[in-house]
Amino acid sequence: MGSGRWSTNVYDAAARFRAATGASAFAYSDSGAARTHPALDPYGVAARESRDSDEHPQSLAIAVLFDVTGSMGAVPRTLQAKLPQLLGLLLRKGYVAHPQMMFGAIGDATCDRSPLQVGQFESDNRMDDDLARIVLEGGGGGQKTESYELALYFMARHTATDCFERRGQRGYLFLIGDEMAYPRVSPAEVREVIGDELRQPLPVADLMAEVSAKWDTYYILPEGASHVRDREVLSFWRGLLGQNVIQLADSDAVCETIALTVGLGEDAISLDDGLADLGDVGSTAGPTVSRALAVIGAGQIGAGQIGVGHAALQVAAAPDDLDGPGGNVRLG
Amino acid sequence: MEHRHYIVCGLGFGDEGKGSVTDLLCSPRYPGRAHAVVRFNGGAQAAHNVVTSSGRHHTFAQFGSGTFTPGVRTHLSRFVLVDPLALAAEAAHLASVGVGGALGLLTVDREAVLATPYHQAANRARELARGGGRHGSCGMGIGETARYALGHPADAPRVADCAAPRTLARKLARLRDRLADELGVLDGPDVADLCDAYRAFAARVPLVGAGYLRRLMRAGPVVFEGAQGVLLDEWRGFHPYTTWSTTTFANAGTLLAEAGQTALRLGVVRCYMTRHGPGPFVTEDPTLEFPEPHNRYGAWQGAFRTGHFDAVALRYAAEVSGGVDAVALTHLDAARPDPGGGSPLRVCRSYRIGEERLARIIPGPEHDLAWQERLTGTLLRARPVYERPGADWPGIAEEALGAPVALRSYGPAAADKRVVASALRAGALVGRAGRSWARLWRGDCRENGES
Repeated sequence: MGSGRWSTNVYDAAARFRAATGASAFAYSDSGAARTHPALDPYGVAARESRDSDEHPQSLAIAVLFDVTGSMGAVPRTLQAKLPQLLGLLLRKGYVAHPQMMFGAIGDATCDRSPLQVGQFESDNRMDDDLARIVLEGGGGGQKTESYELALYFMARHTATDCFERRGQRGYLFLIGDEMAYPRVSPAEVREVIGDELRQPLPVADLMAEVSAKWDTYYILPEGASHVRDREVLSFWRGLLGQNVIQLADSDAVCETIALTVGLGEDAISLDDGLADLGDVGSTAGPTVSRALAVIGAGQIGAGQIGVGHAALQVAAAPDDLDGPGGNVRLG
Repeated sequence: MEHRHYIVCGLGFGDEGKGSVTDLLCSPRYPGRAHAVVRFNGGAQAAHNVVTSSGRHHTFAQFGSGTFTPGVRTHLSRFVLVDPLALAAEAAHLASVGVGGALGLLTVDREAVLATPYHQAANRARELARGGGRHGSCGMGIGETARYALGHPADAPRVADCAAPRTLARKLARLRDRLADELGVLDGPDVADLCDAYRAFAARVPLVGAGYLRRLMRAGPVVFEGAQGVLLDEWRGFHPYTTWSTTTFANAGTLLAEAGQTALRLGVVRCYMTRHGPGPFVTEDPTLEFPEPHNRYGAWQGAFRTGHFDAVALRYAAEVSGGVDAVALTHLDAARPDPGGGSPLRVCRSYRIGEERLARIIPGPEHDLAWQERLTGTLLRARPVYERPGADWPGIAEEALGAPVALRSYGPAAADKRVVASALRAGALVGRAGRSWARLWRGDCRENGES
């Protein structure tokens, strides 16, 4: 009830219906904002925390950071529309009792204005608001490298989770993108973006070891973005993460893929059970997810198994692997 | 597979909190959440306020109140009086609060009647002529639209006409001329300009047939979101202080039956009563003051009024709706005791009319407005008998409505809601049905064709 709030001006209406596309869900970005939203700015942040509470006594941290540079095309928008379903999917199927989720975005520190955007860990849909605040860069350098290493640095040194600190259980980190990281973390960029003083450049392989101690890390490569078939990019991430590199044919299936990956990691389901679950919730993503997770579901992963060393060794065993030297990056 | 669907109806005079309940049922917080909202009565006059936990706010009029959750669709069924111009403005506001592409998630039944600026102008002209005897119209032309469609069913502009320019122009011109003959010259755009806007609407929004809803319900759980409240129902409300719309579960029931589906009937009530504009309001108490950020004096509706929990009227509302399966009890933050341990809230379980006590309003015959008008006269003379409520508000609501309280709300956002145990899930009600008097007389109502 109440009086009609919405104007019925006939000319405005015609123009609005004719506007070529509906306005974007990335409202903050599309409103012309070119700078990181203050709520997502990593500068000076001591730590993003995922903590237990009375309501959520056994929190499990899950972080999803995705590449928002131009090479990703329409994928970031798809992710923004889909990712709010992830929490519901995890809860509905009981894969995780108390997930705490964080969303973030990765740009390119060498040329973008928002090289890293990180939200808060939330147990309810408040992190959706963080999603809406993400600035879409659409930039990137075009050299197949984005500042994933800054995101990894932040995850290694500026996150604190009760699942790890109290229970020794790693959280889940999903990076979604289509390019490589820069080989080293640059002290100048860390100072500029995060505000830390780093004495010397940090090799990304060393950083990955640090991240993996706290985070069970996966890289999701959506097809349909540029470089998707780029062997160099694939082999780069396989070198760092082994079989934890997931190729995704349809970015619409990203939530299902993440949910099943977590379900498998938590030993809550087998791949077949998980795919059946997808049918139950009305998802048509089954075939896509099945393809993407064939390796992971084969039983080779478990909570304790994905050390960095293992990853390096498993590169050669990945069935869909690449020929050529790129697949054998050693992590020292 | 069979999905769990919901019908959300207000049992008061509107403003019960249907919007925020619908928002919750669509939110990722809610397991088995709905993927679409179906509207089944009223039109652009609805004003369902939803506030997100981060403070984003939208007053939902034609879009479903689940729209803040990305991907949630809205379907306007044939019972909705569709105003495409207001839809465009509403979509633009949604975009400004971070919900882009709302028009892309909207479908509209081709059979639905159009509410036009001509109806609106006629509505306002008529209310002005009534002067002090206003009925509490909201000025959106809803009554006028319903009246014209009843009087001239073949000539009423419908959604399907938006894609048929010549028919559309002919119907709009005839509508404008008929109303002007009756009421004098009316404001409104040129027919050609209006046609142009409606054609743009048809090009942008999918106009669908009757089979669409069945598919939508097969794809996942759906919320049927009612507008206004049962006590304003065109047939069961307190005539003539009613709306031109069926505000009970009836229209949703018709749509469900056509789709071969069932739904849980959720009745929404506040722990106190409110009403916009004139008409009987036995428990009105002007000294009650609660924060009401989104309801103010409306030029066409008159004052926003507040009063105590009226178990007699609410029981009547549940009864004429064919009973409810579960209750959503909202605004419980207002029932928290003040620092002295007291509360200004009271419960009314009976009325005093002269020497008599009335504890139940017995529903009259179907479609008998003379009966309803006599009821209005009786209620205008009725005085409330108050009791102190104690702290057990769910118990009070369950007693009045004959159904369990499945959802308690302490504030506007989804995070302020508590789903009570599993009362909303499939099968949970079976064990309670035996003691629910709501079910005992539902059979009678069905015979009357009410359900």
